[in-house]
Amino acid sequence: MVVQRNTTSELLRSLRTLSVAVFHPADEDGEELLLQLRRIGCHAQAFWPPAPRLPEGADVVFIAVRPDTAVPNWSEDRHTAAPTVIAIVNYENPTIVEMVVKLEVHGIVPSPIRAFGLMSALVVARQIRNSRTALTKQVQRLESKLAGVRHVAEAKAILMRARNVSEPDAYQIIRDQAMAKRTTVEHMAYAIVSANDILFR
Amino acid sequence: MGTLLAIDEVNEAGGIDGREIIPVHYDPQSSPGLYRVLAERLVLEDKINVIFGCYMSSTRKAVIPIIEKWNRLLFYPTLYEGFECSSNIVYTGAAPNQNSVQLAEFMTTNYGVRTYLVGSDYIYPYESNRIMTDLVLQRRGGEKVGERYVPLNATEEDFRSIIADIKNKQPDFIFSTVVGNATACLYRAYADAGLNPRTMPIASLTTLEAEIAQMGADVGAGHVSAAPYFQSIATPRNLESLEKFKRRFGSDVVPNAGWEAAYFQVHLFANAMRLSGSDAIDALMPNLLGSEFDAPQGRVRIDPSNHHTCLYPRIGIVNGSGQFTVVRQAIRAVHPDPYLITHSLGDWTISLDTPK
Repeated sequence: MVVQRNTTSELLRSLRTLSVAVFHPADEDGEELLLQLRRIGCHAQAFWPPAPRLPEGADVVFIAVRPDTAVPNWSEDRHTAAPTVIAIVNYENPTIVEMVVKLEVHGIVPSPIRAFGLMSALVVARQIRNSRTALTKQVQRLESKLAGVRHVAEAKAILMRARNVSEPDAYQIIRDQAMAKRTTVEHMAYAIVSANDILFR
Repeated sequence: MGTLLAIDEVNEAGGIDGREIIPVHYDPQSSPGLYRVLAERLVLEDKINVIFGCYMSSTRKAVIPIIEKWNRLLFYPTLYEGFECSSNIVYTGAAPNQNSVQLAEFMTTNYGVRTYLVGSDYIYPYESNRIMTDLVLQRRGGEKVGERYVPLNATEEDFRSIIADIKNKQPDFIFSTVVGNATACLYRAYADAGLNPRTMPIASLTTLEAEIAQMGADVGAGHVSAAPYFQSIATPRNLESLEKFKRRFGSDVVPNAGWEAAYFQVHLFANAMRLSGSDAIDALMPNLLGSEFDAPQGRVRIDPSNHHTCLYPRIGIVNGSGQFTVVRQAIRAVHPDPYLITHSLGDWTISLDTPK
């Protein structure tokens, strides 16, 4: 094995700063989970039953998925700053797996809880959550970029028709206006398209 | 040997409530496969509830499934890389926060911040080197100038190119996580190359009295090691144990930190069993966790939250008689923190004192 690494990754180094909310009944399993999280060095606190909303301040949320307890609907709280969610399951039948799928978790830990494996599950779940968040942000950026490009094209077409100029000239007009109004070309183009909609349709 | 000495002591003092401890012993020949087979034999055929032993991490990992399956108790006396806490194990060797940090602090303060890492090719050296690298890079100008691994059965030949590379790169110190017989080969190759331990010593967590005896005091002199126990600790408690050991086993066997942990963990067990009256893990564990014992290194205590042991880190430099001159020692026992990822220099828990 060749170990090619200079410093320990941020995912591992940040473990001691994590605040972890544990939704788990206060039984032996819950104890073991809390104990191991504290050994790892996380600030862990336990609650039961699960909160109806995803906790704001937590970095990571563990939630026991039990046949006798309804799974909260956290879908509206899953914005890009939302915590990593890990399910703890004591059954593996389709009913439970379905509940886990609905929760859109980043990882899973089987019950009974063993100390061994928890840290790896935690780190990998955070990696998945982080890369999912990064991808979501990138998609949002690309979508708005694409909308901007569309608006610029439309605005150029409007100007070419209305002022009878060439495409490079139309672009220059939009650019000059954007400069003068201290805004972006995309924003200026959007204003032109909107105005055109109001004035000429 | 430490285990046997402690068992003798317990039996001579009347056993555990009048019952004699009779050890059952097998030789697993450093093979993880044999460790697993023999551990299962201890449990199933010999009806053993408490096992003392294991050395390399791979052997401990091989035994864990057996002791967890049958719910037995293992006492593990070896320093290791941390990141484990089985409910069926009591760990009495040093975790990295009880030796690596202190060694890094001492080396970077006294010799310099450029290090060259040499290790045996397995998990303990990888993790130890990660920690050492992290610690050295915390220093201004800190630098890892090389990192090389050799097979577990490496010979002097394997170290020649490494020593040449070291000569070329001139680090301030070498950090060795080489274990076993290969250790002597590394130090000999170093000596043969005419390098000087005064200016560029080898620092280690695993080169202890037994390894020095193997390579010879002349080869080892000047190199540095960190451990919770050295033979040279001059307390009456340690001298008494060493004296008893010599009387029982002669002077061919060399006591070291592993010996001391193997020794005191039997006493921790015996004390716990006196309280519980049973050697079943569920009866023993509540009496073990939090228990204390006056060990040769000082008063040790099992940390109830992580099953590891509060120990006294020390730094020793090999002297002309093949012993370690203790140059730094912990003022108080350092709590084990087996899940610490980012160690830091200058933490109050690592503060070491120069012994008088």
